[in-house]
Amino acid sequence: MELISKITLILDLTTFLLILGSTIVGVLIGALPGLSSGMAIALLLPFTIYLEPNQAIAAMAALYCGGTFGGSITAILINAPGAPPAAATAFDGFPMAQNGQAGKALGMAAVSSVIGGIISLIVLIIFAPTLAKIAYKFGPPEYFALAIFGLSMLASISSKSPVKNLIGGLIGLFVATIGVHLTTGISRFTFSIDELFEGVSFVPVLIGLFAMSEIFVQASKSELLLERIKFSAIKLPSITEFKNCGKTILRSTGIGTFIGILPAEGGTVSAMIGYNEARRWSKNKDNFGKGEIEGVAAPEAANNSATGGAMIPTLALGIPGSATTAVILGGFQIHGLRAGPYLFEQQPDLLYTIFYGMLLANFIFLIFGLLGAKIFSRISLIPRGFLWPSVFVFCLVGSYGLSQSMVDVYIMLISGVVGFFLRRAGFSPAPIIMGIVLGQLVENSLAQSIIIFDQNLFMFFTRPIAMTFFILTFLSLFYKPIKNLFTERKRI
Amino acid sequence: MIKKIQSLFLSFALIITSFIGLGQVATIAVADEFPAKPIEVVTHAGLGGGTDTTARMLLIRTRKNLKNNAYITPKKGDGGNKAMSYVKSKPRDGHTVLAITPTHLFRMARGGAALNIDDFVGVARTTVDPIVIFVNAKSPYKTIEDLIKAGNKKPIKYGGTNVGSVDHISGLIFAREAKTKIAFVPFEGGGAIMTNLVGAQIDAAGLNLDEGKDQLESGELRVLAVMADERLSALPDTPTLKEKGINASFATVRGVVVLKGTPADRIAKLEKGFLKAMAHPVYQNYLTGAGLDASSVAGSAAWDAEIKKIYKEARAALVSLGLAK
Repeated sequence: MELISKITLILDLTTFLLILGSTIVGVLIGALPGLSSGMAIALLLPFTIYLEPNQAIAAMAALYCGGTFGGSITAILINAPGAPPAAATAFDGFPMAQNGQAGKALGMAAVSSVIGGIISLIVLIIFAPTLAKIAYKFGPPEYFALAIFGLSMLASISSKSPVKNLIGGLIGLFVATIGVHLTTGISRFTFSIDELFEGVSFVPVLIGLFAMSEIFVQASKSELLLERIKFSAIKLPSITEFKNCGKTILRSTGIGTFIGILPAEGGTVSAMIGYNEARRWSKNKDNFGKGEIEGVAAPEAANNSATGGAMIPTLALGIPGSATTAVILGGFQIHGLRAGPYLFEQQPDLLYTIFYGMLLANFIFLIFGLLGAKIFSRISLIPRGFLWPSVFVFCLVGSYGLSQSMVDVYIMLISGVVGFFLRRAGFSPAPIIMGIVLGQLVENSLAQSIIIFDQNLFMFFTRPIAMTFFILTFLSLFYKPIKNLFTERKRI
Repeated sequence: MIKKIQSLFLSFALIITSFIGLGQVATIAVADEFPAKPIEVVTHAGLGGGTDTTARMLLIRTRKNLKNNAYITPKKGDGGNKAMSYVKSKPRDGHTVLAITPTHLFRMARGGAALNIDDFVGVARTTVDPIVIFVNAKSPYKTIEDLIKAGNKKPIKYGGTNVGSVDHISGLIFAREAKTKIAFVPFEGGGAIMTNLVGAQIDAAGLNLDEGKDQLESGELRVLAVMADERLSALPDTPTLKEKGINASFATVRGVVVLKGTPADRIAKLEKGFLKAMAHPVYQNYLTGAGLDASSVAGSAAWDAEIKKIYKEARAALVSLGLAK
């Protein structure tokens, strides 16, 4: 078979070492809050001109894979998601670390990431030209329906009170409205602060709500007794635990690959919806948010399968499937290459190099992740007084580094304080994050749909894909009350 | 004996200090040389976007030509205004360069920006990418006249990037000059516009050729007209709007500028360094990859005149459309 024989493309020493290096750099950069794989690739672009085009693109793709995985490490250990796609991983990953199960969370993150990543790559190499066409079927009305479906889980995203979850979600949606409105050009809640015109940047809010508020929580604990060091923290998950998460991982992989293909959305939304669905179908619903291992497997499988998914339209159509793949397309340009339908027919070698490069990257971070889990999990054993002040430095640097703006640092600090008080009042950060992630999508796609539909909202009924999502939304909201209604009637 | 050693040590120390002093004098003397420190290029967009990538490709060889380092400072916010107010705070010594695009020019034309067009001197143009009107290949619009006629019956759903951008204004000016109507549908970027055009969510869109090139070749999209003064070498059969009697020429142009008051010899030195960098295969290959050619590059005089012309037209367009006072 051609595919298998092409493995020789990455077997020369330079290419292999490049992929190895890029993956490890990707994992480390992904793990650092505020540094993303997209940023790293953009910064490294000028240096790749000295490489062979195939090697350069494979290295970028490997860095992308590593970066998506890397975010989970800091999300689990210090509640500071290294990159937005790992936000959902912190929901259960950090509670697990606090329960002394850091190793299990890290091990599960590595394994589910790799399974998600590899399956999506196989989908990429076999079905890319066909599946890429899905991108064309998704117009604003379909994105609107998808976002509504995602938001339908808002009330139940964490095991805290549904009312509080809804309020949290509304806070998130409100934050997403800040900035210049896409279709009217009117600026809202920007108070003439230049940085706010393009909206509140997500990363500082993320760092603030998770890590910064956690610092306040830790600081408000006053007991002086040191906790007994739990050596079980470095234990990896057992085979049974992996098996129990099998279904969740597969479901999330499907969700992640699909959402990854959609050009407007990538790993962050995939992980959120993957997490939602895991909770919906799980037997341990009530344990979500408190340290449920499925709650780590689901977002990690979803966000890593979104990397393969996002490469589908990028390679097959030349449309970036995510922010990072947009930068990779920039890399194509620098090397005088073109992505698109011709890539598959005329440059199969480049395609196979990317495929094997990403595949290798997945295996590298599996090894790195499993070996590293034993080492990294010891971070959760560092006494609080030493750990959290250093996390504070991370928070500052991470929010500043993104666009070198002090406004982002203030946003992070404000989110930290707000997050702390919300947590004390019994709110979970999960719905707030979800509101911010889906807020812009839901608003922009509705505004675009209205123009496309000539102001006639009934036109939504002419859209089968959109209607499917609306029906799913309806079912997910009203399935229980309807079922209860029928069962009660039977009793009478 | 000890005293002797002490005095010896002291004199030695004095000699060393005087050398350090000399060194300082020497550096001051060198400071007259330009550039005396790394060149800072201020962009208004995020990492990995078109402006950022173009600037990075430009700097690879510029560093060698100017014999000093160069780096990029991204200052995002308010359509380039953040970048402009940052540049305003810097000395006018040629060490700070702004990567300028129509976004900045339109932002200035709207009024209330930190700097005005007369505060800038163009140094070099880096890319020119005319806006091309695309439609779906399955649509009934075979010529630009078909589209104009259809717009008179029902507004054309015309896709572009955000409100107030060159896409938006060029669409409105096209509609006004061609006496037709458009309903502008803003999207988040070129990729999204193209996808929605292929998916037939919108009727037409103004895109850069490169953004729709693959879909044009695979027969999913069709080009109707180019918003340029002359036909594109890549699209010899596609008419310009000007040929059709429609006065609308718009392009996504990028280039570098410095603040007015920067010494002329330094501007000349920067210009030389940039132009030499852009003549190098590293930059030329990048242009080819982006679907552009060597005609993208222009020197200080031409570029300076061009940004002023674009500004003037943008200002007139915004005023006539009621989007600026």
